Amino acid sequence: MKPSHSSTLFDRRRFLRGTGVALALPWMESVQPRSVRAAEGTAPIRTAFIYFPNGVWEKAWVPDSTGPNYTLSPSLEPLADVKDSVLVISGLDKKNSHGGDGHYAKTANFLTGMPVAKTTGKDVSSGGISIDQRIAEHLRGQTPLPSLELGTEPVISGIDSNVGYTRLYGSHISWQSANRPVAKEINPRLVYDRLFGKSNSTSPDSMQSNRHLLDYVLEDAKGLRAQLGRDDQFKMDEFLDSVRGVERRIEFAMNHQERDAHLAENFVGNVPIPPNVPTDFREHIALMLDLMVLAFQSDSTRVCSLMFANDVSGRNFSFVEGVSGSHHELSHHENNESKISQYQRINRWHTEQFARFLSKLKSIPEGNSNLLDHCMVVFGSSMSDGNRHDPDNLPILVGGNGGGRLKTGQHIAVEGMVPLCNLYLTLLQKMGLPDATFGDSDGLIAGI
Amino acid sequence: MHCTIERLNFVFSKALSLLERWIGSLSTTAQSLASKQKWCFELGALVIALVSPEISERALADDPNALEKWGKTYEEKVWPIIQAKCISCHSGATPDGELDLSRFPNGETAVNAGDAWERVAKRVRLNEMPPQGSPGLNDPEKAAFHRWVDARPDQDLCHQLASDETQSWYRGYVMSRRLSRYEYGCAIRDLTGFRVPDELLPPSDGAGGLGFDTVGDALFTSPIHLEAYLRTSRAAVHALLEGDSIEPVRGRLIGLGFVHAFSSLTQDQQSIEPNAQLAAAREILSQFARRAWRRNANDSELDRLMRLFSLAIEDRIGRDAAQSQSTADFLSALQQPFQAILVSPHFLIVAEPEPETAGVQRLAPYQMATRMALLVWSSLPDEELLEIAESGRLYEPQVIQSQLRRMLQDERARALGENFGLQWLGLRDWMSSRPDKGMFPEFEEALMADAIEETVRTIQFVFSQSRPLTELLDSPTIHINARLAGHYGLEWPAHGQVNAWQKIEVKNGQRGGITTMASVLIKASYPHRTSPVLRGRWILDDVLGAKVPPPPPNVPSLEESSHGLTTASLRERLEVHRKNPDCASCHQRMDPLGFGLENYDAIGRWRTEDQGLPIDASGSLPSGETFQGPAELKRVLMNRKDEFQLHAIRKLVGFALGRDLNKFDQCVIDASTKRLQEEQRADVVLEEILMSYPFQHRYYNPAKGSQ
Repeated sequence: MKPSHSSTLFDRRRFLRGTGVALALPWMESVQPRSVRAAEGTAPIRTAFIYFPNGVWEKAWVPDSTGPNYTLSPSLEPLADVKDSVLVISGLDKKNSHGGDGHYAKTANFLTGMPVAKTTGKDVSSGGISIDQRIAEHLRGQTPLPSLELGTEPVISGIDSNVGYTRLYGSHISWQSANRPVAKEINPRLVYDRLFGKSNSTSPDSMQSNRHLLDYVLEDAKGLRAQLGRDDQFKMDEFLDSVRGVERRIEFAMNHQERDAHLAENFVGNVPIPPNVPTDFREHIALMLDLMVLAFQSDSTRVCSLMFANDVSGRNFSFVEGVSGSHHELSHHENNESKISQYQRINRWHTEQFARFLSKLKSIPEGNSNLLDHCMVVFGSSMSDGNRHDPDNLPILVGGNGGGRLKTGQHIAVEGMVPLCNLYLTLLQKMGLPDATFGDSDGLIAGI
Repeated sequence: MHCTIERLNFVFSKALSLLERWIGSLSTTAQSLASKQKWCFELGALVIALVSPEISERALADDPNALEKWGKTYEEKVWPIIQAKCISCHSGATPDGELDLSRFPNGETAVNAGDAWERVAKRVRLNEMPPQGSPGLNDPEKAAFHRWVDARPDQDLCHQLASDETQSWYRGYVMSRRLSRYEYGCAIRDLTGFRVPDELLPPSDGAGGLGFDTVGDALFTSPIHLEAYLRTSRAAVHALLEGDSIEPVRGRLIGLGFVHAFSSLTQDQQSIEPNAQLAAAREILSQFARRAWRRNANDSELDRLMRLFSLAIEDRIGRDAAQSQSTADFLSALQQPFQAILVSPHFLIVAEPEPETAGVQRLAPYQMATRMALLVWSSLPDEELLEIAESGRLYEPQVIQSQLRRMLQDERARALGENFGLQWLGLRDWMSSRPDKGMFPEFEEALMADAIEETVRTIQFVFSQSRPLTELLDSPTIHINARLAGHYGLEWPAHGQVNAWQKIEVKNGQRGGITTMASVLIKASYPHRTSPVLRGRWILDDVLGAKVPPPPPNVPSLEESSHGLTTASLRERLEVHRKNPDCASCHQRMDPLGFGLENYDAIGRWRTEDQGLPIDASGSLPSGETFQGPAELKRVLMNRKDEFQLHAIRKLVGFALGRDLNKFDQCVIDASTKRLQEEQRADVVLEEILMSYPFQHRYYNPAKGSQ
């Protein structure tokens, strides 16, 4: 049962061609599932929320001018090809992160906007549901996977006894509820399996067997739950919900068996099976972003979150030209020019990956336009300057115009402590959700 | 309370049964004194529960007046010193070190300050506070402060476990939780013989409490966990039961300790009587479920498992389950209920179901066996442990001791190094601080794997071979293989096998103990160079258990990151910055420790010069201690072995209990400390934990089955 890691299926060298990382996975055109093709013009909106750690050097990030004719800043230059599809929004603030610790109290609520409970484990709370999970909840039942949560690093182990936070806060941006972080997948191979069903819970030979198993497990879990005290029942509820989540997936697969043929025809066999966790970070990121494209393209899910790395990541960025050092270390640049320059190059590298992701989405025709036009992808960090750790003037980009609902191709500079959640609420409403507030929102962002 | 009568009844009957057991234990005079004390103390606790709240509150301290007096001394002698010398930094919206001393303006608040004063006293004793450059304490002030801290009246915390206050402490602390990723892998291995590859395991876990993933509060379950359980159990069960004939499968099962596997099936022919097959299936399922679930499966549970067996025959094989099956079909269909056992919450969740009566109660024997196995093996109890649990003898101190000894000899005790040890020392996620391959082409993943293995073996060795815990600080013995020998520049014995691990004696102090292991030296470096600050901080934080607050905002960090910088110039820069009192309070105790390790480069190799300049590995601490190089640094650490041992004990207790510690855990910490000093062997800490009240008891929630 161990997956085979055939190197013929997957050629690592493919990644390191030319200037940096070449296409990791190739795509096919015109492979939308029937559900998408049938409804041309009303293609579903896909949303993604991409986080990168340790902030940015603001002076090289925020464009000098605003409006539609703004000039890209040095860190945003890689967006040139997709500039019309990107909204740059500066000045957003996360007021519930002004207290607390430099990192943990800012990461966990990147997508919730609410106060993060200071705790080393007991009563963990990100203050509320995260926006990706709110959308997933709304769209439940429309795709095989309600959402996809991705990352590149295992959960940071241990607690920080000096600041009084558990480090798991720095490893989770997706929260199903204030008290329940959603585990992220870091293994590209397993993401592929979830999307295309090789040896997973919905592959035909195991589907029936898994249904019986899950029925059995549900019964056990309900019985056990009744014997437990109240606090423990909450934990059992998590277990029960997870069982039901997998059950719903299997049901979806059984009710949409035409998808199998579609996937078999267009994806399985055409898409190389990715490896397990690669040691090369560039390869890892490229794969994860490609898998997100595939997930959207195959309409396996309409909501994704991705953490480029956990917060306080000390990843070595010497692979970027002109950089010699690790991310977190360089983000504490002490206003030293050499460090700032390296920090800025790291920021720019992140933008490059985002730009490449958007370009790939754009290269995939869908309906009368392309996949990117049916996306809204938030890309940003939970602090501005990594040297100061301030959760204001957050670096935030949105890629894709959400089916024409979002006015991209401009730089909006908001002023006066406008909550990041105002952007989230605006996106929710553009997606047609009935929500009147989200997180700490106090209004909508005008002009987008 | 409306249930007072019930409660009294319960307490009374409990007291009677305890009394009976106590008298019983008196008659078997071989029982150790410790166990008698335990019974007394349980009785004491019950008596407290019996009496009215006012009296039980009085019982919280031996002499409430003594505490009051202690508070008064604070107001007279200590508060003025704090106001004069400490409060300017330690107050306001962002007090330094997150310690706001203005919250303790009088005796009453000082008395209730928890363990704050012990922490303050430690820093003052080491001359770390007040920091250099700010007005320090003069000798009479120091003396007054220490005299006051040391005069704190003893609180008899051991007797408070059954008070109402304790119940609220316990509420939700030790909760039913799922197995951690690591435990899951061990449990599947021990049950099925399948070594789960990383990519099949569920996602990684975060930590809570004292920094471990054994804390239920910090363990969450997502659908991708369930998917992992499905795929892994499928792979494991398939590997276990695959075959066309009974014999090899029976052999595998017997090898895993299921000694009665298929005892009713003696032949592989298709002509086996169907009833014999069904009986054999039921029998092996019963054995397998017992081990996986740490208890016997009941009849209705077995019926349900057998139903899965029948369904699998019908679905997969398309036959009537009542007929006789070929051996291959029989084994194939058996995979389904085996897998169900491994996806059931009875396996995945360490549940301690509520007994009939609520309150603090001793664990049921099976639960105790499970907690023991999770602590020592990070896995499930084996048959021997389950049998002892069944016999009801698992609480007897001699039984605990002999079982612990047996368990420590078992190779599963590796988990103490790999699970407890690596989490304690912060070595679980080293990947993101991987050294720069451009600067260190010699570095490879396999080297780091060996370096981690050295740490695992060293910690396991100390516990399983009853060595002094201080061997982790300094020891002439190291555990290495040929690759590490080469890395450390040591002779690999000619007869030594290349892939084997050996104990080697190192006399010059360059290696031995955790601080000079490659794993730690790499983890506490930047990818391209060493960092005395990171290393010093690691020693303070993870070895000595001292608090190191994060740098105050907007204070530039002390290091230059360009790798052209030499150790010598780094030292100069650090010394300049240390004149700033904001920085000095931490860096004066952190940096010197790290400089003591400058003889090791960023991948842990020994060096005597850096970019052509000789290494200066000297340091002097605020306490006045000085040292020259790592061997002497370790001597300095040995002088602080009490701090180290206390920290290690606290970590182990936190790991064992799966929660944060509170003042009621002080008893087990004190007992461990005492025995460690007397007996000088690390395993006494495990022994004390296993025999302790907090380990053997749990607060049960009265709200059973509701909501």
